[in-house]
Amino acid sequence: MAEILRFLDLLRVSTLQVLRHRRRYLGVILAIAFGTCGLILVLTVGRDVKLNLNQDLELLGGATRMRVSFEPEPGNSRIPTPRWFRRQTIDAVRNIPGVLDVSVILMKSGPSVSNVKDRAHLFMLNGVDGEFWSVNSFLPHHGEFFGVDAVNKRLRVCVLGSELAKTIFGSEDVVGRTLPIDGDLYYVTGVLGGIGVGDWTQSAFIPFTTAQDRIKGFVFPDQMHVRCRTWEDVAPVAAAIPKIFQSLQRGDNVRLLVAWEMLKRVQKVAWWMEIFIYLAIVATLVLGGMGIWNGMMATVQARTREIGLKKAIGAEDSDILVQFLGEALFLSLGSAIIGIALGSGAIQIVSRILKSSPSEDLFVLSVGLSVIFSLLLGLGAGFAPSMLASRMEVVSALRYE
Amino acid sequence: MPPRCLPAAWRLFRHCAMSDSTIFHARNGTMINVSGLTKQYRNGTGPVSVLHGVDLSLFSGEMVAIMGPSGSGKSTLLFILGLFLAPSQGTYRAMGEDVLSLDRHAQAVFRRKHVGFVFQSCNLIENSTVHQNLEMPLIYAGVRRRERQDRIEDALAQVGLSHRINHPANFLSGGEQQRVAVARALVNNPKIILADEPTGQLDRDNSRMVLDHFRNFVADGTGAIMIVTHDPEVAAQCTRVYRLDDGVIVSCT
Repeated sequence: MAEILRFLDLLRVSTLQVLRHRRRYLGVILAIAFGTCGLILVLTVGRDVKLNLNQDLELLGGATRMRVSFEPEPGNSRIPTPRWFRRQTIDAVRNIPGVLDVSVILMKSGPSVSNVKDRAHLFMLNGVDGEFWSVNSFLPHHGEFFGVDAVNKRLRVCVLGSELAKTIFGSEDVVGRTLPIDGDLYYVTGVLGGIGVGDWTQSAFIPFTTAQDRIKGFVFPDQMHVRCRTWEDVAPVAAAIPKIFQSLQRGDNVRLLVAWEMLKRVQKVAWWMEIFIYLAIVATLVLGGMGIWNGMMATVQARTREIGLKKAIGAEDSDILVQFLGEALFLSLGSAIIGIALGSGAIQIVSRILKSSPSEDLFVLSVGLSVIFSLLLGLGAGFAPSMLASRMEVVSALRYE
Repeated sequence: MPPRCLPAAWRLFRHCAMSDSTIFHARNGTMINVSGLTKQYRNGTGPVSVLHGVDLSLFSGEMVAIMGPSGSGKSTLLFILGLFLAPSQGTYRAMGEDVLSLDRHAQAVFRRKHVGFVFQSCNLIENSTVHQNLEMPLIYAGVRRRERQDRIEDALAQVGLSHRINHPANFLSGGEQQRVAVARALVNNPKIILADEPTGQLDRDNSRMVLDHFRNFVADGTGAIMIVTHDPEVAAQCTRVYRLDDGVIVSCT
């Protein structure tokens, strides 16, 4: 018990010593605090940042999006295989882990006609659901897109591709106009925009339920767009989809279009970014550790007479070792606690910017890791100087100038 | 010889055994007995002899001075008596114990229990208060916190510095710093005080004050002080004076 109390007293003395010389250690404290803050931030909100980055990159290229359709019917086929998606198949795909959203599309085999101002315009008409826009990261160029409500109510509304809108209406504003398509009048809600519209600019879009009711040739959804949560989910989802088809539709004629090359590039960029971030954090913490080592070495030298004096008044080697090691540990642990406080604040800010709610478990885990890491850092960096201090000879230490 | 990393029980046993021996020898009166002590250093050119067969003794209630010119080996002798240096040859018994045969840990225990030090240049712990300076030896001796406060107050009262207890040591005058050093030497209730030029940097009044504290310490006849000094006035107030010249005791008066 007495030994424990003595040990605690020595640690108290070490703490006071560091507090007294806090200005000397300011650089070290800041380095470890910022390193710890970074570590906590990356571990806790790293996934949210990645998701955000994922969405931004998605807008540029659509690396996490895949198109599912059917292989063309072979000419010599005697028994035609189903070439549309059943309800349970769509639901099963939606439930694959890593799938963010699914959209189904009905594509008309031939062109549709619209007679405006005595001119017939031919274009591709697509029946789509309310998720089509978000799955493909489309944004309205003008007006707005129709949603789930319009699909459920089977409304006669349409969205036009930008080129098609220009061809039919010229420079006039098309939103709110009516457009005859295959004999029915449709209310134009908006014009398609956003990055990645590609070959959709010459198409028109109506709710797939309306298409099923009113336009010949639209029966079942024959194309599906799947968006994955992150690029890491793409490969497992791509592997799972054919299996679902195999079991629910008994067909092996499904065709999957994934931008693998783009995905690889995006993953490579993200990997390098991740590596650089971790390297920066590790470098900061190691620099902090070296700062402790260097600072402690300088302290031992500056306090040589004090060490001799303490030994003269009864300190043993182990007491000096505990005292200096205590200083190094307090320095690293104290800095880590500051870093944890900074990290906690930074998480609040980042999560507010990203509109995400980081996991509390991850935060606790990152705090635990930071504490362990800082203890190891303090022990590692403080051990050599503490040993040097504890092994000093009293006489030479007292005579040190 | 037991290993350095003794278990706590063994340390406790050693401590008790040492305390008994202390009581016996304090009654006997011989605090320090040194015989045939020699010390040789090695430097680049070969061995250098600092002490040659020194014999001396210190009895309880005594204040003994060691005088001699610079380089005569006074401080080396004091460091050996303080168990900071091992002699090349000779015997050294402190309070009846053959202290040279003790291991490093036991020597540290002996030192903090029975020996107090006062150095020439005060040697207070920088950036610490008077209280913290006096607390250190008590922490090393394993004295409990409640008892520590009483002992610190007693020691400071003995040197008349009770009002300075929470002052930063750096901000005290030279005389006050030396009196704090005396209080620190007294705080563990040692039987022996070893002082290396304790008045070397003090004016006459402060020197007198420090010597008064020393005299009070030996007055009850249970403690003893050995002072290394150049100052004949200090030597004049001591019970006996050993004169050391070139590592040899040339007289004891």
